[in-house]
Amino acid sequence: MLRTDAIIDALSRREPVGEHGDPAVSLLRALTDDVDQWLSSVSITPST
Amino acid sequence: MTTCAIVAGIMPNVTEGCVADAKTGVRLATRSDESDLRDLTSLAVQGDRTAIESLLGQLRPMVVRYCRARLGRVSGHYHIADDVAQEVCIAVLAALPRYRDMGRPFASFVFGIASHKVADALRSSVRSAVPTQDLPDGPDQGPGPEETVVRYIEAEHARALLSRLPENQRELIILRVVSGLSAEETGNVLGMSPGAVRVAQHRALARLRAMADMESIA
Repeated sequence: MLRTDAIIDALSRREPVGEHGDPAVSLLRALTDDVDQWLSSVSITPST
Repeated sequence: MTTCAIVAGIMPNVTEGCVADAKTGVRLATRSDESDLRDLTSLAVQGDRTAIESLLGQLRPMVVRYCRARLGRVSGHYHIADDVAQEVCIAVLAALPRYRDMGRPFASFVFGIASHKVADALRSSVRSAVPTQDLPDGPDQGPGPEETVVRYIEAEHARALLSRLPENQRELIILRVVSGLSAEETGNVLGMSPGAVRVAQHRALARLRAMADMESIA
């Protein structure tokens, strides 16, 4: 459980995890990469 | 100054800037800066404009990430998720004068609002309205098409597996991993002890791993 906590903390800080063969870690890394990506020239007005 | 005036004056566009570069926004409050955040929140509640701007600067990247992870893309874009994130930030600012520090992390207040806004968005038909993207003024500095597609597919796969987790575990993983909340902050949002969060995240990761392994075998 401590190892899991360390993995989760590393993912949350966007730091290397060192679990290259772990598919769950790879997927969560892909998700964080995706939500972090830069978006430009998108005009946002709050929905009404 | 009214809250609306504050919102109108300082609320920047959610999607302007690089979310990934906002490293200070990856974690809302580590143990070392939690007291700073509490002081900042206290000043913001009193209407201190600088404190409000600073607080918003810390909150926004995490709220954007949370909404993106929960709502995903529509037609390949995060318009709707970013729109909801903007609404969350506005709602937080509007509720700020009524906020009272009862010893719980400010994150639980923010992500409580975010969770409700996301649930509202999921229930509504807002996802059917897809705004069109403006033509860029210059070269696109983002990743190329191939990298974008690969990342998109992997992220969608992650969302698909997350959607198969029990709701509480899914919310926990998004708050911990995507939004960067600590176990304590996540526990406050979800009404769990930090120890229970650590147990649940361990089970959630094991379940994700098992599902991914099963898919690779099939």
